[in-house]
Amino acid sequence: MKESLEKAIFPAFAAKWKQQHGQVLMFQSSFAGSETVTNQILRGAPADIAILSIERDVQRLQKDGFVTADWHALPAHGIVNKTPFVIIVRQGNPKGIRDFSDLAKPGIKLIHPDPISSGGAQWSILAIYGSELKKSETEQDGGDKVRALQMLRAIWKNVISTPGSAREARTTFELGNGDALITYELEGLLMKEAKAPIEIVTPQATIFSEHPAVVIDKSVTAAKRPIVDAFMQYLWSDEAQQAFVQFHFYSTTNDAFNQANAAFGHIEMPFTIDYFHGWDKAYPEVIEGIFRDQVQRK
Amino acid sequence: MSTVAAMRHVRGFDVARPLSIGTLVFLMLPLVFLPLASIFIFGTSNGLDKFWAALMQPEAIFALKLSMATSFWATVFNVIFGLFAAYVLSRYNFWGRNALIVTISLPTAIPTAVAGFALLLLWGPYGTLGRLFTPHGFQIMFTAGAIILANIFVTFPLAFGVIKPVFDTMSRSLEEASATIGATRWQTFWHVTLPSLRGAIVSGALLTFARAVGEFGSTILVSGNLAGRTQTAPLYIFAKFNEGQIEAANAIAIVLALFSFLIFSVLFFARDWLDVD
Repeated sequence: MKESLEKAIFPAFAAKWKQQHGQVLMFQSSFAGSETVTNQILRGAPADIAILSIERDVQRLQKDGFVTADWHALPAHGIVNKTPFVIIVRQGNPKGIRDFSDLAKPGIKLIHPDPISSGGAQWSILAIYGSELKKSETEQDGGDKVRALQMLRAIWKNVISTPGSAREARTTFELGNGDALITYELEGLLMKEAKAPIEIVTPQATIFSEHPAVVIDKSVTAAKRPIVDAFMQYLWSDEAQQAFVQFHFYSTTNDAFNQANAAFGHIEMPFTIDYFHGWDKAYPEVIEGIFRDQVQRK
Repeated sequence: MSTVAAMRHVRGFDVARPLSIGTLVFLMLPLVFLPLASIFIFGTSNGLDKFWAALMQPEAIFALKLSMATSFWATVFNVIFGLFAAYVLSRYNFWGRNALIVTISLPTAIPTAVAGFALLLLWGPYGTLGRLFTPHGFQIMFTAGAIILANIFVTFPLAFGVIKPVFDTMSRSLEEASATIGATRWQTFWHVTLPSLRGAIVSGALLTFARAVGEFGSTILVSGNLAGRTQTAPLYIFAKFNEGQIEAANAIAIVLALFSFLIFSVLFFARDWLDVD
């Protein structure tokens, strides 16, 4: 997120604002995991806008009165960009991994962040489980939940390490541990950009991690309000959306931008958190009810 | 000077005694007593049955057993190594001897997280040692073996540190006497030297074990941290804390606290027996 904002979106918006209003804008930004950022805001860190990687964090901000406006009223339901979950394998794909189901094969070693502490890991669990459920729908009405659970169990058996965050998992994988890593496509493209000897495998069906941008209404002053609102609108403008695509995120407003990026893999059956009826349902039902109670405690 | 002297004895009563004891306890209150007390308070706040239920979770039992087993093997290794190193370093004077003593002591000062990633780098598929073993399907990282290696590293100087001073001060006349009556070096070591090291060996082992059971920083990096597979008790506590299950975290913390209390009580009260020469 840092690069797209600091290299493209902040300077472009500042230039625009200066041209229109003659004011020079300074952006102060801080980047950390979604949960950390949310905790910092909840403890009083002065922020006007937050871009988060998980909707549950927005709900925490709402609960404590930091976000009061209906953030879904913004363009694209308040989702500023998104990125699908993919599998990262070693260069040349020596283990022949083509989809999530290949990760369940005996002898495959998988690095997977800890779903209790890492938001990225929770997305990954939903990606695996939802992928199998989605595929089973083509054969059975409503999908085969048992089959999806068995897939998740078989894959979890092959996990050799559960680092605390998606970033830590990437480091562990880059040190040569494991045959595969499940992570954001964005992360995979950044690894490739850094010339890491890896390949990205796009599953047949996978989830899109969607990133909401919210105004921290509690801390925005009346004087700053017009600027904050204008910037929020700008985030969904073609210019900003194209900047996100340039920095490996999918646009949420215009699919033509995404089609134009050849680095994005083709996903036959994409789905989002809506497939699980939102995080309110997905967390207790899939992360706790299925992963924690039926996979981890086996 | 005169005021201090006047204060010391008020009507024949030594004021400094209760004052200094009181100050000591008062200072320890927020630093040691209250943190320990809060573990017990939070761990049992929902009733002893909840505490017991948290303790009887299969992953909790597994984590405790894994901690005990990995710490045990690390202790066995480090006591034998410490004994050997202390013997070599106190009996022989050679070039580089002091450098070796300093190096053995280093792991105390190295952050345990650094120890963890140093092991990952060394034994990982791209590491100096890992490169030799990985192609043969041998992988030690993310197994119980990795936890033992991490424990060995962080507790490396402890047993050595207790045993070596005893070696240094040991009178050699008994050993010499043993040699003159025709004992081999091994017999002398087994029947003469080792018994007088009994106290140091037991203290060193207990210290090593206590430290290893509580190890967190290096273990979290090398173990894989999988519940029921490679998660030790301290990692389990951290995972439960992250999950928001404070009682479950505290239940295991209580066990570890009582356990170290036991170890240090043995060290303290069995001092006389341990010091027998």
